[in-house]
Amino acid sequence: MTSPAEDVDVAAARPQPRRGVSLRDSGPPLALVVIFVAFSALSSDFRSIGNVQNIMDTAAVLAVVTCGITFVLMMGSIDLSAPGVMGAAAIAVALLVANNRNGNELGVIGILLAILLAAALGCVSGLALVLLKVPSFMTTLGVSAVGLGLATLMFNGVQPNITDGTLASWPVERLLGLSYLTWIAFACVLVGYLIQRYTRLGRYAFAIGGAEEVLALSGVKVAPYKVAVFTLAGAFYGLAGVMVTSQLSAGLVQAGKGYDFAAITAAVVGGTLLTGGRGGILHSAVGVLIVMVLTNGLVQVGVSPYWQGGVQGLIVVAAVAAAVLPQRRRNQVTK
Amino acid sequence: MSTPVIAQPAAEPVVVKGGPTPAQRLTSFMPVIALVALLAALTIADPDFLTQKSLTAAIRTSAPLVVLAAGATLVVLCGGIDLSIAALASLSTVFFAMWLPDLGGLTTLAVIAAAAGIGAIQGIAHVVLRIPSFIVTLGGMSIFSAVALVISDAGPIRVVDRDATNWLTLYVAGYIPMAFFVAVVVVAVIALVLKLTPLQSYITATGYSESAARLAGTPVDRVKVGAFTVSGACAGLAAVMLVSRNFSGSPTMADNLLLPAVAAIVVGGTAITGGHGSIWRSLVGALVITLLRVGLPIVGVPSAYEQILYGAIIVAAVALTLDRSKVLTIK
Repeated sequence: MTSPAEDVDVAAARPQPRRGVSLRDSGPPLALVVIFVAFSALSSDFRSIGNVQNIMDTAAVLAVVTCGITFVLMMGSIDLSAPGVMGAAAIAVALLVANNRNGNELGVIGILLAILLAAALGCVSGLALVLLKVPSFMTTLGVSAVGLGLATLMFNGVQPNITDGTLASWPVERLLGLSYLTWIAFACVLVGYLIQRYTRLGRYAFAIGGAEEVLALSGVKVAPYKVAVFTLAGAFYGLAGVMVTSQLSAGLVQAGKGYDFAAITAAVVGGTLLTGGRGGILHSAVGVLIVMVLTNGLVQVGVSPYWQGGVQGLIVVAAVAAAVLPQRRRNQVTK
Repeated sequence: MSTPVIAQPAAEPVVVKGGPTPAQRLTSFMPVIALVALLAALTIADPDFLTQKSLTAAIRTSAPLVVLAAGATLVVLCGGIDLSIAALASLSTVFFAMWLPDLGGLTTLAVIAAAAGIGAIQGIAHVVLRIPSFIVTLGGMSIFSAVALVISDAGPIRVVDRDATNWLTLYVAGYIPMAFFVAVVVVAVIALVLKLTPLQSYITATGYSESAARLAGTPVDRVKVGAFTVSGACAGLAAVMLVSRNFSGSPTMADNLLLPAVAAIVVGGTAITGGHGSIWRSLVGALVITLLRVGLPIVGVPSAYEQILYGAIIVAAVALTLDRSKVLTIK
């Protein structure tokens, strides 16, 4: 019925983003600048150097989580497992490095082991998706619960406080005015970008989101790449969990609470489509800054911090609605 | 291809009569079998469990979960998902505690109506803006939590006047807790309304194949908004039940009920892809989940395993009930 119009539409819309600058790509950075300028005009506390440092430092953990979730969103899947995976990694690392609960003093190896545990949890999400054919929002909801359960088991009623020097230095030591955590986040964004741009995994993640059937028909075994993407995402959440532990100097089960939704918000605001095939790490990084600037700015102008989640909820609904607006007539079915 | 699938729900009520083949019939009885098996296992583990007192206590705790799961089942039957039910119930407990001094006896109705209205807004956002339901309700979840935190000042609000919720703590026929009785009545009323009106076919058609249903003239959009409205109303009722038990409203009171409610729906055998399932199944599913919840400590398993179990159950149950003929690529 509408297919001729559709074809024209697709043909016209496709080449644009490849040429580099389009409204979709330049919109989020513009929004970031506008929001930043607006808050700077409204609040004198906001436009101080200290506050900008503060924004960058608080954005670090969210940036790392968003790096992971972006790959999953690029495939057109969704990942709600961040709270559980981060909780498990946060407790695991607190128990593996020097702490008050046991004699472990593994240092960097402990951090790597915690990230490995998180990657394994991500791998489970991917395997359940690929082998059992359970939709990703269900597998990751399940894995999140499993991660929280594991974290509660390891927590075992006594809070592990870390005494490890390296980990404790991350949030306080500064380099060029920014904390180590922020530099780790920068490194993650860079690594994420390199993976997205130059590895088969990153390219295929894009392609899976764009047209999985075509990719499968052209002889690519899609399943291993999907599992790999979820594993990679899990590893990023793990690192984020470790970072939260370093911030709090203690392992908490709730280390990742709310980060799943904040990360989805950031990715979507940055221009990553939930249907997959669009966006990327750099888009998401801009999205993270938008979310953090907005959160920080609203508090600076006197809005109760409890509204934070509500603002994120509104942004994500608005951003998704705006993203599907051009395709409204095309997809009649929304689940 | 889809004809034999559509023939299945015609064989409702599901728990009584199953699908065409013996294997399918067995699958449709699975939740009941699981319930009986769990009951038997718990009785073996602790012979005291099968007493009137502990069973009464168990079904009393299950009441809010039954109501929450029942409402959300309608959304799942339409092919969507409602992740906001728990947050909406938490918000409703706050509403209840705040409105009670002014509205008195009408508070219960007002809270349910408000929750239904909020549910309807989500439904309208879903169908008009064409945003996937899990994103709308995920956004809703976060918004409702924020509103609840702000209006309650992030703390519990005590309910001093206990008369308004007193009726829910009574017992029907001396044994059945009123809360559970109400929950079953709600399930029965919804099921009956669906059965006696074309709504049942509308919902099933929407869930199995939305585009086909649309072409056949089913008011798909209105059905979906209706499902979200009922889901919201159920969250409101569940909130009243929670308040009647805890004598306070709190912005996080019902938050930990989301996972059990989703688990109850999928354990009951309602397919997450929509169409196949029923609200009675979710009642059984909610009872299974409640038994697991109260049963784990009896068997001596630390409650930390509860979360892991929910996670595993959700994934396993969805894997078993998923209608694979419908989704070619799983995202």
